[in-house]
Amino acid sequence: MLILLTGGSGCGKSSYAEALCGKLPGPRYYIAAMRPYGEESLRKIEKHRRMREGKGFKTIERYTDLASLTLPGRGTVLLECICNLTANEMFHEDGAWEDPFERVIRGVEALLEQSRHVVVVTNDVSSDGRLYDEGTMAYIRALGRINAALAKKADTVCELVCGIPVPQKGAMVW
Amino acid sequence: MILIVGGEGSGKRTFARSLGYREEDMADGCLNGLPVVFHVERMVFASPEETNLLFEELVKKEVVICNEVGSGVIPLDAGERLGREAVGRLCIRLAQRADQVVRMVCGIPSVIKGEEKRP
Repeated sequence: MLILLTGGSGCGKSSYAEALCGKLPGPRYYIAAMRPYGEESLRKIEKHRRMREGKGFKTIERYTDLASLTLPGRGTVLLECICNLTANEMFHEDGAWEDPFERVIRGVEALLEQSRHVVVVTNDVSSDGRLYDEGTMAYIRALGRINAALAKKADTVCELVCGIPVPQKGAMVW
Repeated sequence: MILIVGGEGSGKRTFARSLGYREEDMADGCLNGLPVVFHVERMVFASPEETNLLFEELVKKEVVICNEVGSGVIPLDAGERLGREAVGRLCIRLAQRADQVVRMVCGIPSVIKGEEKRP
């Protein structure tokens, strides 16, 4: 089963995703796509790591090319998050793909093939109405297309609003 | 307490009026004796370190109205980034305490927590 969780910054996606995975069968793998790039992200990574403590997740740090990742067992995967993964594929030296669409989608498909359940966290970054530089605009559009493709593939899509899951597609079976 | 969230111009105050509140019942980004407060996000941006105090005051209100500000590109400015995160976190806590949470989209209210009461 593929479950897509979306929402803006600070809407409670991570806590909800982790609680949800706790109800799904193990082994549980947490794929961390956030590349550390400074004190703030290290703090955020540390906070997320603490939140996962005791929830039985094995953390796999993987910033690009999920398609070639081999998981040690067949269980539940939490991928966090598509916005970081997409940015890594587009803007980092081992990424630098003009269009990250295929790489991100193939990556999620590869996880699905190896798992019973995949919970994917993404982010809505497209609603501030500002005009950014060309690279950022390309990123916003790519992320929008990726989110739409993942939602199409997903069994369930939920938006988190103030920590409350608002179903957008499928049933919340957990 | 009823929490109303939504984007700029999404109809949050219009919805509050449909509950029977008047414009003069609504405080614009400040804490006073009025039963409704809006522009809560501006209060957080002004002093993100005082979110705990703000939370304690907001839960005493009848209606709390806050813009959703988390759905844009992650700001380069650290202060802006932390302020935005603080708005989100505050709304999660307010939603936990609220009797009802209403989310506005294009002027359409969705009750995402609590019983729907038709005014």
